[in-house]
Amino acid sequence: MHNDRLLLHGFTLEAYAMIRLLLIPLLFLSCGAPGEGDLVVWNNMRPEGRDVLDSLLVAYMEIHPDVTCSQVYYETEELRSNFQIASLGGSGPDLIYGPSDQVGPFSEMKLIAPIEDLLPKDFLNGFVDAGLVWRHGHLYQVSDRVGNHLHLLYNRKIITQPPETTDEMIELAKELTIDEDGDGRIDSYGLAWNFEEPYFFVPFLGGFGGWVMDDEAHPTLNNQETINAFQFMKDLKFTHKILPPESDYDTADALFKEGRTAMIINGPWSWAEYLDMGMDMGLALIPQVSETGKWAVPMVSPQGYSLNVNLEGARRQQTIDLLQYLTSDEAQLAFTRVMKTIPSRVRALQDSLVTKDDMLRISMKQAQVGKPMPVDPELRAIWDALRPNYQSVLNGTKSPEEAAEDAQREAEKMIKAMNQ
Amino acid sequence: MKRQTIAYSFALPAFIVLGLVVIFPFFYNVVLSLSNMSMRHFWDWKITGLDRYVEVFKEGIFYTTLLKTFAWTFINVFFHVVIGVSLALLLNRPLPGRAIIRTLLVLPWAVPQYITALTWRGMFHFEYGAVNLVLDKVFGVQGVAWLSQPLTTFGACLITNIWLGFPFMMIIALGGLQSIPAELYEAAVVDGASRWQRLWKITIPLLRPVLVPAISLGIIWTFNNFNVIWLVSNGGKPADQVHILVSYVYRAVFNLYRFGYAAALSMVIFGILLLMSVRFIKSTKGTEAVY
Amino acid sequence: MKQKDPLWLTIVIYIVLLIFVAFSVYPVLRVVTISLRPGDQLHSRSLAIIPEDASLSSYKTLFTGTGYLQWMLNSAIVSICVTLLGVGLASTAGYAISRFSFRGRGSAMIALITTQMFPVTMLLLPMFMMLRALHLWNTFGGLIIIYSATALPFCVWTMKGYYDTIPFSLEEAASIDGCSPFNAFRLVVLPLALPALVITALFSFMAAWSEYLVAAVVLNDKRLYTLPLGLKMFQSNFSTEWGLYAAGALIVAVPVMVLFLSLSKWLVGGLTLGSVKG
Repeated sequence: MHNDRLLLHGFTLEAYAMIRLLLIPLLFLSCGAPGEGDLVVWNNMRPEGRDVLDSLLVAYMEIHPDVTCSQVYYETEELRSNFQIASLGGSGPDLIYGPSDQVGPFSEMKLIAPIEDLLPKDFLNGFVDAGLVWRHGHLYQVSDRVGNHLHLLYNRKIITQPPETTDEMIELAKELTIDEDGDGRIDSYGLAWNFEEPYFFVPFLGGFGGWVMDDEAHPTLNNQETINAFQFMKDLKFTHKILPPESDYDTADALFKEGRTAMIINGPWSWAEYLDMGMDMGLALIPQVSETGKWAVPMVSPQGYSLNVNLEGARRQQTIDLLQYLTSDEAQLAFTRVMKTIPSRVRALQDSLVTKDDMLRISMKQAQVGKPMPVDPELRAIWDALRPNYQSVLNGTKSPEEAAEDAQREAEKMIKAMNQ
Repeated sequence: MKRQTIAYSFALPAFIVLGLVVIFPFFYNVVLSLSNMSMRHFWDWKITGLDRYVEVFKEGIFYTTLLKTFAWTFINVFFHVVIGVSLALLLNRPLPGRAIIRTLLVLPWAVPQYITALTWRGMFHFEYGAVNLVLDKVFGVQGVAWLSQPLTTFGACLITNIWLGFPFMMIIALGGLQSIPAELYEAAVVDGASRWQRLWKITIPLLRPVLVPAISLGIIWTFNNFNVIWLVSNGGKPADQVHILVSYVYRAVFNLYRFGYAAALSMVIFGILLLMSVRFIKSTKGTEAVY
Repeated sequence: MKQKDPLWLTIVIYIVLLIFVAFSVYPVLRVVTISLRPGDQLHSRSLAIIPEDASLSSYKTLFTGTGYLQWMLNSAIVSICVTLLGVGLASTAGYAISRFSFRGRGSAMIALITTQMFPVTMLLLPMFMMLRALHLWNTFGGLIIIYSATALPFCVWTMKGYYDTIPFSLEEAASIDGCSPFNAFRLVVLPLALPALVITALFSFMAAWSEYLVAAVVLNDKRLYTLPLGLKMFQSNFSTEWGLYAAGALIVAVPVMVLFLSLSKWLVGGLTLGSVKG
């Protein structure tokens, strides 16, 4: 009785002492939060780009000694989801950098601020049209580059003259699809690319005269143009037999790096790697669709900075200033120097760094025949509807007509659900 | 009563930590599942009742995906346990070199899942993948186009996840085997019991207290583990057929911003798992002592 | 007197074990290949383990050109704390549930595992809000608390299950000898439960060492990044720096293997009940 109580007392004391000991480390570890004063830029830039961004931020801090800035990297999809979480939780970065299509959902959810009244008119006038991202009459994003679009890349050791039309492309690829050792397995391809992903199919959709949506963000997938484009891809695989049976991004990338495909359709994010490994790489426009005579239409998009809607007062002013710095001619050319990006300001485009570069010249020509990527959130629903149906065409389970109908129907359904 | 206080004081710290971390998020989700939070109603969402739940149950996809999820879960856990326990039994014998073998067998658990899952994806490639090459050269069987058809892709995901999961069960079983007194086996041998009988009458029942938590939680984790499926199938390919329930939640939230719907779907997943676990635990009497 | 296995059985056992070792090890060898291959290539036609143009440049860059060592230190701090907390809390809570039949015991146990039934993605936002309110966002403390909560259900239950296999008669004998209940727990029962403690430690460690989603929401400052967050920085939308990633992933596995090796003698070679009787 009395003893028991003493026992219990001692018992619990000892137990808690043991546990408290274990909790002490926690007290010293509630540290490490960055200063509230830091201007934070979230971005999805590749490593080389981040290095340039770091140097720009350092330079900015030298000009403005009372300001500190830092950048945080997130992969594109995470950038979107983490920004949503942070905003809902009452915080988030001051500037968020990413592709133009994030403007759609962010502006819809009121996470980013309209900035057309916050920036000087003559600053804005210095940009090409495609360099400023407007939606519903408001400016939401100022870019430091345009492009990020697909091109035709070819291995100059195998091909000297890239094809200009799809018929030429098919002929060339047929010649180059070789089974070297006769074991029934193709060893080299003429053309391989991430064709299973709709984004990499869209250039041909455009080449056949179709597109993913109209001006009101309604999907336009159940028309003859889509069916023709589906049929074209199906023929590439089953009739002309020039495509690998399975080819995702990494497979095509590996084939090109190993010199086992003469051509690949890829974007500027991949050039640095190919060039760094000493590849003799040539750049060309994705061929004209022979049936229509139109050039293939890759999606062209700017990437830029948006302003967190929660900023106000002096901090907002400072952030706007930083934004102007990061999108100035000098900043843009800094990126161009390292990553061969196309600037979005008129004066930067006239710099000899740009005009004298062969690759950039071709890249800009490709951008000219391309079409701006829509920034509407509906685009994502369209990708999600297009993807499975397109893949069904590729593996033979659906006919092009069925797939086009189904894609349209599913896109409309998802858009309706999203807009509830 | 005093014993009760001792018990409570022992158990309380753990439950306090748990409660703090989990209760608020849980109830937040309950509220969200009854609301209309979405892209258009991001800040100004309201409670709208059970609409989201109706949406969940109305979609035919829900039921087919649920079935796939069950298949995924039970096939995985079955192999995890069978392989893990068998290996533990084999390693429990005095074999020279077993420490090295044991350590090597733990590798799948130790190396980060992201890159091993993608490596497996590469191994299932039709032409260049190691799996087909082994099938061809060692077994003389024609290669399978693993990632081109939904069913075989599902199989590829299963094999990958089994590879990832068996070491854990093996570790549990190895630990559990230590709790079985050697005299029980000796007495059984004296009584003339065969190896098989010793396995089923002694080993398995006495492993139960340690295996039941592992299996129950294994079921729950596997049910909710869409990482592996996502990585090996590259996002549900081909044609979006390779999905389990949680990947739908993920898509609903991050691609279509349907937060209320995703919350409701999460609650439904929770309900299903709760029912399954309670039944499993009750049937294996996992909450009781063994002696 | 133990039966000796016939030779053929031993050989069969070895063959089976070696097949599984090959099964376990081969994919990891391919990761080694990726780490040695220059040019960030994930796939390759060649099956050679050491590529022709093998180079250690990825490893060099990993240690000199990235924050890898910092990330490793951070992960170590977080994981060790989670392990200590996990073992401490689970060993006591599991004991209580095993030995004392108190009101609410059954439901407490079910409640424990219900915390695992929720898809993590839906818990991220409220977790974030909570941490900010408690000023634990972007701190190790916040991360440690969440990881411990994630690891606890399994650990408590495993400890409880293991304690269940230890007969209560041992503690009774100890208390007759004058031991306090806590000492009986600490000196008699705990050593016998060593294998379960090892499982708890390993599991808690891994819960922190390899977790990504929660860390990505909680930690914002690069200097605090844990290994999974750091590795993610090698990944971009379309192209990943595979060489660095593979090298980083392999090194991530090393401490885990070391931990397993050092703990496994207690996992399998601990005191067995038979030797303690009487």
